[in-house]
Amino acid sequence: MTGGRMVMAVFAAVLAGFGFTMAPRAGYGQDVAAPAALSGRFLLTDQDGRRVDQDSYRGKVRVMSFGYTYCPDVCPTTLATIAAAMDKLGADADQVVPIFVSVDPKRDSPSHLKEYLAAFDKRLVGLTGTDGEVAAAARNFHVRYTVNAPEGTADNYTVDHTAGVFIMDRDGRFLAKLGHLVTADDLAARILGYLK
Amino acid sequence: MKAIKRRRLLLLAAVIGFAGSVAAKPLQGLTVLPAPRPVAPLAIADAQGRAAGLDTLAGKAVVLNLWASWCLPCLAELPALDRLAGGAAPDGVAVMAVSLDKGGAAAVDAAYGRLGIRHLPVRLDAKWEVAEALAAPTLPTTLLLDRRGREVARYVGAARWDGPEALVLLRALADGRALTPAMAPPPATLSGTPP
Repeated sequence: MTGGRMVMAVFAAVLAGFGFTMAPRAGYGQDVAAPAALSGRFLLTDQDGRRVDQDSYRGKVRVMSFGYTYCPDVCPTTLATIAAAMDKLGADADQVVPIFVSVDPKRDSPSHLKEYLAAFDKRLVGLTGTDGEVAAAARNFHVRYTVNAPEGTADNYTVDHTAGVFIMDRDGRFLAKLGHLVTADDLAARILGYLK
Repeated sequence: MKAIKRRRLLLLAAVIGFAGSVAAKPLQGLTVLPAPRPVAPLAIADAQGRAAGLDTLAGKAVVLNLWASWCLPCLAELPALDRLAGGAAPDGVAVMAVSLDKGGAAAVDAAYGRLGIRHLPVRLDAKWEVAEALAAPTLPTTLLLDRRGREVARYVGAARWDGPEALVLLRALADGRALTPAMAPPPATLSGTPP
């Protein structure tokens, strides 16, 4: 392969990759491929300052998403969808714990997470940690994130990250990964299916 | 030679993997639809929980803004939308800002009080249906509806809704003239709009 062809091939691959991401239905309720090797392990700090890991929620099905609270341009509605799904579950929601993992530990302190998540649902657990702890948790969920260079002030930066909603079983093992555009109805139905 | 090819293949695989798994930045700015799209009736409620959907604005072009109190860029553009609602909008243009807050009217009152909002009535997506019905996975999202209630364009992100560019855009919307991407108002920034 010549250098020129190589460049073309890489370019085509990038387009193909983004084509996959941007396809009209991409991200909606259908499952997103996730490797079976996803361990789902983590050691982090919750919104009340408690040290927690994957065993801290034993007995409950977990609905997990990764992200960050500071959105300077546009804000995803994933947490609102998860909160709406919890409402739709009614009494069955007692068997479920929704968990938000920050990929921006520098700005997302436990107390900030507590305040932010209360706007969505008081049942939401917010997890953060050291850079190393967050990186390890993300790796164990095959979540990629990139902290972008600050603009203007040191605290003004965005974080690109893998979107999606993970459903983990009562022992913290991987069950499904749904696209971040899943509807509250579809998410509630999937969770309910795993409660049986 | 083989080693080089192998390395190139690995590079290719890495590029594909990265592009495929990291969600692309959501589309921002003004998108003009190829053709006007009818909007189904929306379950929008007022502060008392009474139905207060788009039918209350029949015959007017509508700036339909979706926002939430936890969304900073949403808060950045609300004052401009309030000025539009308070009389700055061209004739025939109405403004409706629908809160997606789970806290309902209390959350809206707190935000409106903080921002000094005086003209926008409280409108709520009480059952988390409006955002889904309009396929708006990010906030703020603002739909521009023609006088027949059809969506002709939408703006994702915060905009300077009362600036000269926006007024040209909204006048065209009210007159039923075609909108173009070049009519996009400039974005509003979190630290306030430039003088």
